Amino acid sequence: MHIRSLLYFLGEALKSIVRNGWMSIASVGVVAITLLILGSFMVLSFNVALFTQDIKEQVQIVLYIDETSDEETKLELQRLLAAHRQLEEVRYVSKEEAMERLKQQLGDRAYLLDGYNAEENPLRDSYQLRTKIPEDIPIVANEIADYPGVGYLDYGKGVVEPLFQFTGLVRWIGLMFMTGLAVTAIFLIAHTIRLTVYIRRREIMIMKYVGATDWFIRWPFIFEGLILGLIGAVIPVIVIYYGYQAAVLWMQSNIYFIPLIPPEKIMEEIIKVIIPLGVVLGVLGSSISVRRFLKV
Amino acid sequence: MIEIYHLYKQYAQNEFYALKDINLIIDRGEFIFVVGPSGSGKSTLLKLLLRETLPTKGNIKIFGRDITRLKNREIPFLRRNIGMVFQDFRLLSDRNVFENVAFSLRVIGTSPREIRKRVPLTLELVGLKDKAFKNPNELSGGEQQRVCVARAIVNRPAVLLADEPTGNLDPATSMEIMTLIQDINIRGTTVIVATHAKDIVDHFQKRVVVLENNQLVSDQERGVYFNAH
Repeated sequence: MHIRSLLYFLGEALKSIVRNGWMSIASVGVVAITLLILGSFMVLSFNVALFTQDIKEQVQIVLYIDETSDEETKLELQRLLAAHRQLEEVRYVSKEEAMERLKQQLGDRAYLLDGYNAEENPLRDSYQLRTKIPEDIPIVANEIADYPGVGYLDYGKGVVEPLFQFTGLVRWIGLMFMTGLAVTAIFLIAHTIRLTVYIRRREIMIMKYVGATDWFIRWPFIFEGLILGLIGAVIPVIVIYYGYQAAVLWMQSNIYFIPLIPPEKIMEEIIKVIIPLGVVLGVLGSSISVRRFLKV
Repeated sequence: MIEIYHLYKQYAQNEFYALKDINLIIDRGEFIFVVGPSGSGKSTLLKLLLRETLPTKGNIKIFGRDITRLKNREIPFLRRNIGMVFQDFRLLSDRNVFENVAFSLRVIGTSPREIRKRVPLTLELVGLKDKAFKNPNELSGGEQQRVCVARAIVNRPAVLLADEPTGNLDPATSMEIMTLIQDINIRGTTVIVATHAKDIVDHFQKRVVVLENNQLVSDQERGVYFNAH
């Protein structure tokens, strides 16, 4: 594309945006709201992810070895666990080690364990298992329960499942909500461009008579959609940047123990998603109109 | 330059023929009137020449090329060689005279330098040098038609088509516009004018092609409208 043509298309697109005033504002508004919700959602989920990452990583299966089983069975169990693909980490904790840990945890009250020693240890040998994906824990636990030499398993049954279900549900609702808004945004942009095509039908007719190519006629409309989408994306980025900065400041002075991702770092991620998405929404909306209403 | 062979045009199947078996050869530099009552097929013929529509049967060759076989993306380049003047002027009221004329150069990618050179020359040719920065709405009908002519020829097309160019003008102004179009023809442009203005056709004594009942019924050098009937 020639630089002169590019400037011409941009100029025509801008003129048209100004001429369509309210429709342009409405289109930009819907794109901005859609992306603002998406952006806020991202900010929230990034922080929640950071916050829950620790918790999630702490979620593990503790497998107590059946003490009555023979050495061969214990070896078989070890082999099976080592071969399990969904497991990230398999760590053997002997009952002596478990006793040490318990003592440390009890701290000042370690005397409670005074009566016990190497010979008299009520604890059991166990494995600490971590899955590659925390959400897999219930499934993996079910599989492992049938392995030979398993005494019993503990993975916070009944607590872990609802937690994972809830985070999954939130993600789905957010996704559906945003899809709806995105469709609305595309529709509104398409409508704005259709209006532009209508207002400029005379001009388009003359362009065709004097030999403008079809793409020459189409480009200003595509650019119009692109600009509307871009403005609609820049607004939420700015709002989120300042909003998040304020939120971080407030949180640090009030609920200081919650870790937050620094604004600059999170904005990088937000911009990478929001800006291209705005442009895509805009171009998609105008393409629909250009195809359907601009018979060139 | 323009060759038309056994041209038929039906706008829809089983409908009447808007044009029936038209044969016509127009040489470079000719001036030709296409006359006939409303609905005789004059406008259809011009539309076919501009490739606004395709014939049902037959061929149209322009510059030796069969335009019925042009691909869609080739059509703009045909039109860059054919200027079109309309009965209703079709000027853009949101820009001045200069910009209306420049428009047809801008949209085919002419450089601004070239536009600044050619538009004033063309406006001078049509006698609107002083009105370049007026809005079309401030001009008389005759002046508006001059802008339309300027827009059609600024690109220096080989052919100029005019569909009832004097239809909205009074007799004196009509004569002026036709004289302008004749001047353009004298400079080498092939001109085809569709009209049913008898006095104009009689006055200019050019080749006259008569369409009646959608057929070509007469083709005379230095003809007059009266002879057609």
